[in-house]
Amino acid sequence: MRFAMRSIPVFLLLMTSFSAMAQSSAQDIVAASDKVRNPGQPFRVTSTLQEYVGGQPRDRVVLTVYAREDAATRQFKNLVRYVDPPRDRGKMVLLDGTRMWFYDPASKVSIRISAQQRLMGQASNGDVMTVNLARDYRATLAGEETVTDADRQARECWHLVLAAATEDAVYSKIDYWVERSSNRPVKGKYYSDSGRLLKIAYFRAFREELGTARPTETIIIDAVDPNQVTTLNSSDYRFETIPEAWFQREFLPRLKVE
Amino acid sequence: MRRRAGALLAALAWLAAPPAQADDVDLIPQAVRQGAPAAPAATERAAKLNLENALSVWSLRDPVVSIPGGTSVDARNRTSVELRGRWRLGKSVELHLSDRASAIEQNDFSFPSSRTWRNDWREGYLTWEPAPREYLEAGRINLRNGVALGFNPTDFFKTRSLVDQSSQDPSALRENRLGTFMLRGQRIWDGGSASLAWAPKLYSPTPIETGLPAAGLRARLDRTNGASRLLASASFELGDLAPQLLVYHEGGVTRLGLNLSRTAGKSVVLYGEWAGGRYPNLITRALAYGRETGTLPAGVPGVLPAASGDEFQNDLALGFSWTGAAKLTLNAEYLYHQAGMTREDWRRWFATGSANAGSLAATGALWYIRAFAADQQEPATREQLFLRAAWSDAFVPHLELSGFALVNLYDRSRLVQLGARYDLSERWTLGAYLGANLGAAESERGSLPQANSAVLQALYYF
Repeated sequence: MRFAMRSIPVFLLLMTSFSAMAQSSAQDIVAASDKVRNPGQPFRVTSTLQEYVGGQPRDRVVLTVYAREDAATRQFKNLVRYVDPPRDRGKMVLLDGTRMWFYDPASKVSIRISAQQRLMGQASNGDVMTVNLARDYRATLAGEETVTDADRQARECWHLVLAAATEDAVYSKIDYWVERSSNRPVKGKYYSDSGRLLKIAYFRAFREELGTARPTETIIIDAVDPNQVTTLNSSDYRFETIPEAWFQREFLPRLKVE
Repeated sequence: MRRRAGALLAALAWLAAPPAQADDVDLIPQAVRQGAPAAPAATERAAKLNLENALSVWSLRDPVVSIPGGTSVDARNRTSVELRGRWRLGKSVELHLSDRASAIEQNDFSFPSSRTWRNDWREGYLTWEPAPREYLEAGRINLRNGVALGFNPTDFFKTRSLVDQSSQDPSALRENRLGTFMLRGQRIWDGGSASLAWAPKLYSPTPIETGLPAAGLRARLDRTNGASRLLASASFELGDLAPQLLVYHEGGVTRLGLNLSRTAGKSVVLYGEWAGGRYPNLITRALAYGRETGTLPAGVPGVLPAASGDEFQNDLALGFSWTGAAKLTLNAEYLYHQAGMTREDWRRWFATGSANAGSLAATGALWYIRAFAADQQEPATREQLFLRAAWSDAFVPHLELSGFALVNLYDRSRLVQLGARYDLSERWTLGAYLGANLGAAESERGSLPQANSAVLQALYYF
C-alpha cells in the first residue's frame, strides 16, 4: 500500500516509533518519499548542475528534463536535453529502463549506451530526482537516526537500506534517510555493485512545486573524490503533455527547442 | 529521585541513540552550505556557433607504388566558423541550417589565394509537422543510419560526403559531412516509426577529388546528388533489440539493411549492422566510375582481374562496447565489406604496381581504386577490426584521452590515432591528435604516403 505520511492523522504521529514502524513498512516510506520528489503526472523541469572543485565553483550544466511515469512499471522515463554549456547544447539522452540512447546533433547519430555509461555524464545527476526508488529497490528499515541535514539542522529520520531489486536499478545499494514527520528525503548514499560508495546526496530547499513541497536543491558529493561536489537546482517545473511516442530513439532529433 | 532517574534515562537514551551524521555534511563546500546564489538558468538558444583552428602536419614517405603527381601536402592550417541551428518559422515549420566556413593555409599554395576560402554547406532544410509527430522535409539533409562506430553498412548517404576533418576517428568523420538534397517524410508513433526519403539526381557524376579536399565555395551538390536515391526505413520495439529495417535503391540496385542493439548487463552494449545487395565489387565500380567521369582514359585496361558482374555483397559490423566504473569505454568491432579487396587482391595490387612502376596509367588506376573507396567512405579491405578506447576525466576532470586502431586483418597494417581533448572552460576546448599509418611497405596502410600526422586543435563555443 502506498500512501503519503502527511495524510496520517496527527495522533498517529504522536505514537511511539515502534508502533509507527509497525504501521508503515519500509517500502511505503520510500514510496511516500518518491511522491515528495516526483509529481505523478508528466512534467518538465529545468535542472541546473553547478560543479564545485575544491570548494570553488567550476562548470555549470543546464538540462531540461521531460519525465513521464510508465503506467505499467511505475518507473519514470526521461528525456534529458542539454541547454548549457554551449559545447553540449542540443545533445540529448533518452533514459527508459534498459533502453538508453545518446543523441548528438553534430553527428546526427544516436548511440546506445549502457547503465554504466549513463553514470558518466551529468545526465545521471539530472535524472537522480526522477527515479521511483520504491519500484527498483527493496527497502528494509535499519532504524531511526538523527541526521544532520545540509543546513546543519538535526532531522529525525528513518534510516532505510535499499537493495537493487530490478535490472533497471542504477545503484546496487542505497542508504536513504527520510524525515519521519514529513517523508521528505534528507540524505542518500549510493553504492556500486562492488560496494563502493559513489555518491552522497543531500536534499534541501523544499518549496511548493506542482502541488507539493519538493526539494529544489540536491547536493551531490562525489564519494570517490569528495573534492568534487555538484549542486542540482530544480526550477521551472511545469506539467506538460508528454506522449509515450517521445521515448524512442527516432524522436530524439525531433524534440522542439522552446 | 524521579528527576534524577529521568536525567539518567535521558543520558542513556542519548548514549544509545546513533550519533547525528555530521561528518558527511562537512564535505559540503562552504559556498554551497551558505546557499550561494545559483547562476541564472540558461535559456536554450536556437543556434550553436563555434570557432575552430586546426593545425595539421604530416610526415611523408615514398610509397612502394608511386603516386602519379606525388603528394606534397605536409602542413595545413584551417580556421573555421561553424554554425548549427534550428529556428521556428511558424507553429509547425522549422528551418535547419548547418554550415562551416574556413580559411585554409597550406604549404603547396600561397595565402591568400582562390584556394584559401572554403565553405561546407552541410545542411539547409525546412521541416513541416502537419500533424503531431508527422514530418515532411525538403532541402539538404544529413541523413544518418547505423549503430556501429568503425563502419556503417546502413549509412547509405555517406558516399562522397566527406569534408576536411581534424580527427581521423570515424565518429568524428560523421560530424563534418555534406547532406544530400532530398524530400523526406517521417511518422513516429508509440513504439515505432517509419520514414521515406527520396534524393533526386541533380548532376551527372563528377570526378572525385584525390588527396585532401580542395577549397571552394560551391555547394557541391554534384557530390551528393549525382544519382537518384530512395531510402525507406522502419524502427520498432522488439524486446530489447531496437531493430531498424532499411530498403535502399540507387542506380537499379536495391540493398537491404538491418540494425540491432541490446544491452547485456550494466556495462555492455552489443550491436550489429548488416546491409546486402547485388552490385559489382569495389575494383569494378571504381574503374568504371573513373572511366565514366573521364579521370581514367576510356581505353585503360583493367589493372586487376576484377569481377565483372553483379554479385550479392554483404556488409557487416558486429561489435560491443564496455564501460568500466573508471569512465573508460572500450569498443571492439569486426568489420566485413565483401565488395572490398581480398588478401589476393592486395597481393595483385602491389605486384601490378611493381611490374608497372613506369606506367602512369597503371599506377594511376591502382591509386584511383583506393581514392574511390575513400571518397565513397567504404573500406578498401574486405575484413578489418576496429578497436577504440575513450577515457573521460582521465587523471583530471574534463580531460578525455582516446585512441583507436583500424586493423587490416590480412596484412595487420593499421591506422592508429591517439587523442587528447581538454575542456579548459565552459567555452574553450583544446585537442591534440597523433596518427600513424603502420605496416610493411607492401601493406594497405604501410603503402600510404602519409606516415604520421599530428593535429593541434582549439575550439571556442559562443
